[in-house]
Amino acid sequence: MKKLLALVRVGLKANFGLAVIHHRLFKVKKDRWLVPVIPLAVVGLAPTIYGYLKLIESFYGFLKPIGQQQAILTFAILAGQFLVLLFGLYYVISAFYFSKDLEMLIPLPLKPVQVMLSKFIIILVNEYLTIMAIVLPAFVYYGILAKEGLLYWIKALAVYLLLPVLPLTIVSILVVGMMRVVNVSRKKDALIIVGSILLIAAALGFQFLLGRTAGGKTDYDAMANFFASSDSLLKQIGAKFPPSIWATKALAGGLTGPAFWNLFVFIGVSLVFFCGILVMAEKLFYRGLIGIGEVSGRRKVLSQKEMSRRVASGRRPVKAILTREWRIMNRTPIFLLNGVLTVVLVPLIFVLMAKMGSGRGDSAFILNLMTSAKPVFVILAAAGLMTVSGSLNGTSCSTFSREGSQFWISKVIPVSPREQVIAKFLHSYIIAGLGLVTSTIVLVAVLHIKVAVLAAALTLALAATFALTVVGMIIDLARPLLDWTNPQKAIKQNLNVLISTVADIGLLGALGFLCSFLAKAGIPWDMLLVGLFMVLSLLSFGSFQFLLKFAVKRYRQIEV
Amino acid sequence: MIELNQVSKSYNKGKVKAVDDLNLVVNPGEIFGFLGPNGAGKTTTIKMIVGLLKPDAGTIAVNGLDTQRDSLKCKAITTYVPDFPAVYERLTGLEYLNFIGDVYGVPKKERLERMEKWLEVLELTQAVTNPIQSYSHGMKQKIVLTAALLPAPEVMVLDEPLVGLDPRASHHLKEMMREHCDQGKTLFFSTHIMEVAEKLCDRIGIINKGKLIACGSMEELKKIDQTEQSLEGIFLELTEE
Repeated sequence: MKKLLALVRVGLKANFGLAVIHHRLFKVKKDRWLVPVIPLAVVGLAPTIYGYLKLIESFYGFLKPIGQQQAILTFAILAGQFLVLLFGLYYVISAFYFSKDLEMLIPLPLKPVQVMLSKFIIILVNEYLTIMAIVLPAFVYYGILAKEGLLYWIKALAVYLLLPVLPLTIVSILVVGMMRVVNVSRKKDALIIVGSILLIAAALGFQFLLGRTAGGKTDYDAMANFFASSDSLLKQIGAKFPPSIWATKALAGGLTGPAFWNLFVFIGVSLVFFCGILVMAEKLFYRGLIGIGEVSGRRKVLSQKEMSRRVASGRRPVKAILTREWRIMNRTPIFLLNGVLTVVLVPLIFVLMAKMGSGRGDSAFILNLMTSAKPVFVILAAAGLMTVSGSLNGTSCSTFSREGSQFWISKVIPVSPREQVIAKFLHSYIIAGLGLVTSTIVLVAVLHIKVAVLAAALTLALAATFALTVVGMIIDLARPLLDWTNPQKAIKQNLNVLISTVADIGLLGALGFLCSFLAKAGIPWDMLLVGLFMVLSLLSFGSFQFLLKFAVKRYRQIEV
Repeated sequence: MIELNQVSKSYNKGKVKAVDDLNLVVNPGEIFGFLGPNGAGKTTTIKMIVGLLKPDAGTIAVNGLDTQRDSLKCKAITTYVPDFPAVYERLTGLEYLNFIGDVYGVPKKERLERMEKWLEVLELTQAVTNPIQSYSHGMKQKIVLTAALLPAPEVMVLDEPLVGLDPRASHHLKEMMREHCDQGKTLFFSTHIMEVAEKLCDRIGIINKGKLIACGSMEELKKIDQTEQSLEGIFLELTEE
């Protein structure tokens, strides 16, 4: 137990970079500028949180008369567990198998179960933070609205702490099992990527099934009929995924026997699965882990002709760096899953949501909404989806961080920071472009958007994505994370990704707010669209020029 | 030629002086060995020469070009081998060498000739199509060395280049270093292996606590302390607390 605690303590310090943060904030005072930025970011997010609380309140007001208000808790629990399932996959694969400290831990006199459990606990802490924004407001606001007593708050804390355990153990079991099989193969990286895609597909499919079960009627009357029926929402969901209903009943049941029974079952099942991973850790963890970083290559002498063919005849530096970025991104499973795969996943999730929203398996509702709305709103909605699909991946805002300890190469090569940054921009923009392509396919295939509307949306999205890609790069260039030991740190757990996401949302929100303000002031929407495109283009141009100048300064300053 | 003029570098807001007012000239055609205890300032000096660190004060020139003002021109004629071979593990050796060839603008003919020569000498020919991830520490060191030799630079800066190399590769590297300087080019390297420095270097500099405490040819160093005749003895004597 002592050893486990020591491992967890060191792991948490390394995970959150506590010593580094302390050093940067108080010793070298490099990150002091973050101190005012953090409250600003919170203030920036306040409207979103307020909107979420309002949504909870309106659902509560609507569900209370029909006695189904605890469905709010069910949805929050389900959403939280789904998030854990999705993010947990990335966390588990990288922490269990690609963390460089493992090379140091394996030779120590520690049991596999201690190493794996410490990693599991650290991921669990990360998951508490991941689900906080979704689950906590629902738990807290429900408690306040329902005027729950002390017991509710104690149970809420217990449920919150246990909530990620079950999905995370399921993911861990699947990943540990997968790695045991994959590790025997020479094509480990490819299998890890394929396996991860299959697991994500399974998680999405599962969510899709839940959505279909829930029915997903979209207007309040239809929902009211649904809730009022004898076959309630809770029971339907419970039939597919019982833990969410146990947790809900435990929370909302007050001091009754069934409430405690449900809490007991929820805790019990979580514990059983947890014990399952303990057994697995001892039997399979090291077998899947040892040698995972080793790659055996075929020893082959190239013939003179073959060598001559494979030696490049001289690419321009920008092309050479772009090729390097592309290869490293695509060949590092963690980078590929977080970057490229995300731009494919976001539109896919949208399709699933659209399908779930209809209940009958087609997208009639959204289609109806899209066709009945003014074309200008369709353009804006489509451009929004495209921009989100293209921008909300960690590629641009981790482009310098991903180089890690190899950044010395970028510092010593005779290529100007300007050219290096152009190559990096092209790489990030190509990946963003992939997101635009996939979201365009979704818009055409699922929502049957007209070509003219699509072209207008695409033009806006290209400009918006350009600007957001540059913003992401500026943020990463300002504070690159180069001392990581686990590639996950460079992209998924990199604070720059969060700062960039907040900046993106803030920027898009501000533009949206400005548009609606001007529209209310009587400016025609057609003009506003043109104006929006011009603002985005100017922003792209200005920020790109800034980036090029900033790069010259920062490449000198960043010391490795 | 490398010239360091009153170069200083400190960490922790000046609390730790890593390099203190360093003046040094490495002439063309010279192998210059840089010695010093751990933490003496060797790597900091090397990193400042190649542009990884910015000096707090002083100037550094490579072949007459200021490393801060004409940084790109300096980089184009200098190559560097770090003390730890952190390279792109996901690229194959050949892809990495092609990348270096591209960014240094090495034409295909020369690229092919030099690659074949150094891969053969350093016994990497069979592994060059494999990912660097699959290389041993020594092989990674060899691929970084091959990459540093590929542009046939005017100036080579090597930080403990012999660490991790097998005896044969080590022997070939020493031959290469001599060959490089016989062409009138400059080579600056740090090492802890006294015998190598003694036999190979035209001149040797000893740094301790950020200050250059001795500099000259082996004969000149022997004059510092008449009783010590080996470099190891001189080094121990000079760096004693």
